[in-house]
Amino acid sequence: MDELQNTEARVNVTYGGQNGDLPDPVFFDSNDGDVKGWITEAVRNGSIPGIPADAGADFTDFVVDRFAATEGRPYNLIQLRPKTPFGE
Amino acid sequence: MSKVVTIVGVGALGSHLVQFLRSEDVAIRVIDFDRVEMKNTQSQFHGKPSVGKMKSNALQKSMNFLYGVKIDAKTNKLVGDNAEVLLQGDLIIDCVDNGEARQLIQKVVRDKGLPCLHGALAADGSFGRVIWDESFVIDSEAGAGAATCEDGEFLPFIAITSAYLARAAQLFLREERKVGFSISPTTVVSV
Repeated sequence: MDELQNTEARVNVTYGGQNGDLPDPVFFDSNDGDVKGWITEAVRNGSIPGIPADAGADFTDFVVDRFAATEGRPYNLIQLRPKTPFGE
Repeated sequence: MSKVVTIVGVGALGSHLVQFLRSEDVAIRVIDFDRVEMKNTQSQFHGKPSVGKMKSNALQKSMNFLYGVKIDAKTNKLVGDNAEVLLQGDLIIDCVDNGEARQLIQKVVRDKGLPCLHGALAADGSFGRVIWDESFVIDSEAGAGAATCEDGEFLPFIAITSAYLARAAQLFLREERKVGFSISPTTVVSV
């Protein structure tokens, strides 16, 4: 992925215990529904390196997190992840 | 020993976290009202001799016996009436397993301006979060019948997530850096 503009974000997803990035960046202010839609399509098509294709992939109950660039991570990050209700 | 770290919840994440922090030059306080059950020994740092004992007291005894590390153990259930008194220190680490307690912790640390690190796990052991309160959003709880982290299958992943919690705490305590992590079984991403 080329260097990202400050209006763009890398999109990272964890699904079925596997993790990968969308091949292309998206706008950082993309809405959650769009992000879930793009990732659903990509996982179903098998176009996310590291995540095997799954025609039944469903991200309805997943959560979209957004992290602005930091010194240690010089690009914006959007992350689609499973809910994490447990700690104890 | 000047800094105090308060860990709320010493089950899966919290019990391992305490032993990962054992070499830090800090005073550790743990808060948990629950007792150790046999099933907990599959995935938590608690051993079979601790079954039936309060988790906080059992961990206190284990840390002293195994490492000679003394920790402060509180057996209170965190509620509105005691949260402000119990949640003190230079760093609060939330390792609880329910949204209600997380909301209470979040309210108190924000009211008091206390640094707070949250640890959270997906029910199926597929994802873990180590995240500073500034970015933390409380997820709704899993519905009835959801998988839990009690099964020993997730022990390695729980321990990995606890280790990243400890690392985030260490970076803050030693260097005042706030670093978070998103952890999957195959990848770790700094957030």
